[in-house]
Amino acid sequence: MNPHNPTVDHLSRRALLKGCVGTAAGGMVMNWGSLVSSAHAAEAASKKQKRCILLWMNGGASQFETFDMKVGRPAGGLFRPISTNVAGTQVCELLPNMAKLMDKLAVVRSMHTSQIDHPGGIHLMHTAYSEAANIRFPELGAVIAKYIGREQSALPQFIKIATNGHSGSGFLGPRFAPFNMGHDGNLPPFSKSYIDPQAENRRHELRDFMENHNARIHKVETARMHRESYAAARRLQNVLETFKIDSEWIKYGPLYGDSWFGRNCLLARRLIEADVPFVEVGHGSYDTHGDNFTGHKSLTAPMDQAWSALLNDLAERGLLENTLVVWMGEIGRTPQINNRAGRDHYVRAWSTALAGCGVRGGYVHGATDIDGHDVVSGEVTEGDFFATIYAALGIDPKKENFAGSRPVPLAPFGSKVVRELLV
Amino acid sequence: METFARHRVLLAITVVLLLFSAVPAWADPPLREAIDAQMTIVWEREKVAPAPAADDAAFLRRVWLDLCGIVPTHEVARQFLDDADPQKRAKLIDRLLDDPRYAQHQADIWDMVLFGRNPPGYDAPKRVGCQTWMRNSFAANMPYDQFVRHLLRAEGNTAEQGAPMYLVQYSRQPEDAAMAVSQTLLGVQLQCARCHDHPYEAWTQRDFYGMAAFFSRLSAVRNGQVNSLDKVYLAEMNTGEIKFVGPAKDAVPGKQGEPIKPKFLLGDAIEEPDLTAEFKDEKHPGDGKPPVPPKFSRKDKLADWVTAPTNPYFARAAVNRVWSQFMGRGLVHPVDNMSPSNPPSHPELLDVLAKEFVAQRFDMKKLIREICNSRAYQLASTGEVAEPFPQWFERARTRPLSAEELLESWRVATGHDEVTARSGKKVEGRFHGVTFDYLRQFFGEPTNGVGDFQGGLQEHLYLNNGELPRLLTAEEGSLLDAVITSTDPPESRIDRMFVSVLTRLPDPDERAKFVEFVMVKENTQERWREAVWVLMSCSEFRFNH
Repeated sequence: MNPHNPTVDHLSRRALLKGCVGTAAGGMVMNWGSLVSSAHAAEAASKKQKRCILLWMNGGASQFETFDMKVGRPAGGLFRPISTNVAGTQVCELLPNMAKLMDKLAVVRSMHTSQIDHPGGIHLMHTAYSEAANIRFPELGAVIAKYIGREQSALPQFIKIATNGHSGSGFLGPRFAPFNMGHDGNLPPFSKSYIDPQAENRRHELRDFMENHNARIHKVETARMHRESYAAARRLQNVLETFKIDSEWIKYGPLYGDSWFGRNCLLARRLIEADVPFVEVGHGSYDTHGDNFTGHKSLTAPMDQAWSALLNDLAERGLLENTLVVWMGEIGRTPQINNRAGRDHYVRAWSTALAGCGVRGGYVHGATDIDGHDVVSGEVTEGDFFATIYAALGIDPKKENFAGSRPVPLAPFGSKVVRELLV
Repeated sequence: METFARHRVLLAITVVLLLFSAVPAWADPPLREAIDAQMTIVWEREKVAPAPAADDAAFLRRVWLDLCGIVPTHEVARQFLDDADPQKRAKLIDRLLDDPRYAQHQADIWDMVLFGRNPPGYDAPKRVGCQTWMRNSFAANMPYDQFVRHLLRAEGNTAEQGAPMYLVQYSRQPEDAAMAVSQTLLGVQLQCARCHDHPYEAWTQRDFYGMAAFFSRLSAVRNGQVNSLDKVYLAEMNTGEIKFVGPAKDAVPGKQGEPIKPKFLLGDAIEEPDLTAEFKDEKHPGDGKPPVPPKFSRKDKLADWVTAPTNPYFARAAVNRVWSQFMGRGLVHPVDNMSPSNPPSHPELLDVLAKEFVAQRFDMKKLIREICNSRAYQLASTGEVAEPFPQWFERARTRPLSAEELLESWRVATGHDEVTARSGKKVEGRFHGVTFDYLRQFFGEPTNGVGDFQGGLQEHLYLNNGELPRLLTAEEGSLLDAVITSTDPPESRIDRMFVSVLTRLPDPDERAKFVEFVMVKENTQERWREAVWVLMSCSEFRFNH
């Protein structure tokens, strides 16, 4: 695994873009004339583009009810472990479908992170950094959009569905801002133009004149960003169909499961297939301070089905080898079961999982002690986890951006790529 | 007893002296000249050439938006542009400082500073009482130290007096209150010290908890309603300590911390009357009863210390924030991080501003008047540089309009308010014409404290496909009606449209282009509507430059 820039892919993308021309309507069409010899190569390159789906377990799923069971110990809880398709590895019985895909999954049982509450944890596990008053850190999706996004794509490059996190693109600026879809997976209001296309073109042409006029006088970058975002909003009109899962739902509904999370996972697959480099899908709240066991039982059923269907679907389409699927929330849950049969927040030892895109399937990284209190081997911090995600995607985690004059590496200084997680 | 009497005499003399000594005039030279002198020194040192002065039209739009949060009407703009008086800029600044919109706009800005779009606490989303109080305070030009003292003493309730809402949002969250007060009002960031001693600054965790201790006895109490707003009071108990448990990374569940006494930043722990061992605090009043003031109020002590003229942080943080409001960036930037590791760009100027602000008894309007009259404020924003907030203030900043500024400026530009007035329809509240919730959603967040522009494609979806047509009716009183029904030549109608929306006349090529666009035989009205939409949605309108 080369964590540095995969030059081959990068060049291929350039070649692909060179072969595109803008249309009057602002959309992009392939200029096949100049690409006859490289069309096939470009398509292959497109499939090889790396991308990422983040399944966000809002509120913090319990490691004890998923991937790090402590049977017979005080932390144990109500559920039993089951065997998986990897000999010797067991998971909670709440994940029967994922148990059959264990060979595709790398589990980290040794997360040790630094923010124990939701707002801090949500920021941390979206950006790899703790909140700071004077730096606005970009989320994972914005970083991925910047480094492996398709510059001229008509689709937003950072899409969030039914999830949380408010850091957005931070200091990377509006160009990499998230496109936020509703909890029902519907497009946000005003996404679709209802103006007669001829009239729309007419006013666009006049507006363009004004913008060009202004651009000659005001060179300020924020005005330029405003113009770029306008162009992106118009291009979106050509690809709104991509956001509709209806045509596929009849076939795939039974696989993904008839839940909002299932529908949104199918939507994520459609978007990834259409070359969007990052889609985040939220689920939960897993914040089970009370009734942890009934809570997790009802939450994991649709989650397990949709997650496994997503991995199978991506694999069947040949997309899994270049699509990283990350499973995590902002925190883990306590080994202690409180007097409301709940588990509180815990970040000293908890679990996350990865699949696809060169991740070593069937591997369990790290371990916690017999009661799940502490990590005993293979500790992974938030920075290490992000560094590993970036490395899997071919992005150098040491790359720096500037927040004002301060250089900020993608993963915090000192973070290490967990090589064992990657093939 | 004798000492006491002597003190009284001294006090009386002091009061008399204070009453009869006029507030000193501005230092010589006036502050605006001191600003420009310091600017020039730094421009020469840094070898940057300042931009030329902004033309009248650019100044006009900028100062209206900065002081009143709206663009001027067509008539007002024309009058100013045609005025030959060499003093017209200074006169306009004076006029706008006395405009009711000044108070409204400053209240909007401070609402974002003190609460933000998503304030914590159950009560803070309904803070009309506080917003009204802020508006009245700015209208009366309440000295800034008094303004802050009201916020921190929190006397009365959130509905009638309003000011208590600031601390009510941090009810039972003493650590959050300490962070907010230090950062917002003193420009000092303590949040790192919440969990560990600050790695770069002087602050330790004990400093942090020392500040938090001032808020450790506060909680919100609801007692009755007025105008369907809950009257929330801030109750302060006689007992209740903040516990210090050591660095967060060493935290162990269940470990009790040691109580920490209230202590001013870089100061000593305050003297508190000792409570006898038998002392039992009053029962917490609970909702439905007005709270009883404590025997000794920690928060009042803090209010006095924060707002004292001798406080080393207070005036500096205030002038730095006001400076950034008008100049795009603070002399210390970001404004809420004034620390040795983040030095000011113009240290002498910051000293002068702070000193004069104190000498002028924290007079906000005076300070703002001097900044707006400076050459630096009135520079052009155009040029080759891409940075929206130039580091040496050698060019005016470019800042995005807030959701409030956008909506109310659109209404001024399109004549929507005039249409509404003529129709005799009653409108409720400030935000009508389009749905303000959408504007808040799509345009509300750039106010992140750093002033960065964060508008992505979703704001354009609103501009392109959203509710703007609602403001673009051709009813009597509207801009559209005026330009469509006018018998003037098309060129002057285009001029009218430009001045109404962009507060400037079109350049010749713009005039020609727009005349060509609207001068068609069919669908004329539609063409005019599209032309106004172009001016409302373009980047020139989106920013204050």
